[in-house]
Amino acid sequence: MSTLHVLSHSPFGDERLSSCLRVIGANDALLLSGDAAYALQPGTAPFSALHARNLKLFVLAEDAQARALQVPDWAEAIDYPAFVELSIHYDKVNSWL
Amino acid sequence: MTAVLLIESVMKFAIALFSAAHAPSSRRALLFAQAALAGGHEIVRLFFYQDGVYNASGSVVTPQDEQDLPKQWRNFVTEHQLDGVVCIAAALRRGVLNEEEAQRYQRETVAVGAPWELSGLGQLHDAVQDADRLICFGGA
Amino acid sequence: MAKSLLIISRQAPWSGPNAREALDIVLAGGAFDLPIGLLFLDDGVFQLANEQNAKALQQKDLSANLQALPMFGVEDLFVCGESAATRGLDPENLSLEEAQVLTAQEITALIDRYDQVITL
Repeated sequence: MSTLHVLSHSPFGDERLSSCLRVIGANDALLLSGDAAYALQPGTAPFSALHARNLKLFVLAEDAQARALQVPDWAEAIDYPAFVELSIHYDKVNSWL
Repeated sequence: MTAVLLIESVMKFAIALFSAAHAPSSRRALLFAQAALAGGHEIVRLFFYQDGVYNASGSVVTPQDEQDLPKQWRNFVTEHQLDGVVCIAAALRRGVLNEEEAQRYQRETVAVGAPWELSGLGQLHDAVQDADRLICFGGA
Repeated sequence: MAKSLLIISRQAPWSGPNAREALDIVLAGGAFDLPIGLLFLDDGVFQLANEQNAKALQQKDLSANLQALPMFGVEDLFVCGESAATRGLDPENLSLEEAQVLTAQEITALIDRYDQVITL
């Protein structure tokens, strides 16, 4: 079983990213959406944490673009059709509401 | 070289929305839903819970220069004849009443009408059982 | 066979209707005899703190609803040990005795076991 975790809150001053990283499994993936995209801000603790984890990382392209965030080569920017595909590829989706 | 025809199976999605119309996650939910249908998949139910009920409100007035999510949701559900359910308990608490509930509770404002149906959490569970995938949107 | 659903409750008891509305999903599922699990994570563990006094806030005391879960057929109750410990709560001394204390690794496995999950 594999899970696509989805975050949408800024990682600064919010616990969702760190809690997600505590429980995310080896076969799981993480999609950053909305303000969670700020985790790709270079030179920050969330950025380092994500880079160090070496997990399958996705970000909604529109959210990276809106925030002028460079998508590093260890993450993949996706559109909505790809989001739909991901939700099918993984056995379930866990959105951290 | 042999051409391989890939037939992707049609997936059934249950989409639950927990945030208000002005939340970015509500727009994301709609875009996801549209992409799911465009990809040839089915949406067994849209379920609005917690602040998600506000997306069904006909009383919301969106500023002219912003996306009118309640209207877009209404058009989407109507156009594709989808099952759009609003959790009744969440709706009552937030003042999103249909005519029946407004009469029952003697409230002046009727905020919900077709295509939205007010019903219980059983409908969410039903959708979860029926669908291949449950996708929740909300929070921020 | 019915699909199983795990509800992960992350909010403190009186941070708005979150805790209650998460519990309502659980209770509804139990009422329909569905396989439902409930995990208390992050601030959600505060729902299990002892000697709370909802009346002081004119709020509803959810403890009774929580204690009633097994009666609704919801016996798969879990709490994140780490969340409790970092919040100064003794994981072995929480208000819901039936809640199994889990490590992060066990939570990973728990999420994996369920067909669907809602984290709110």
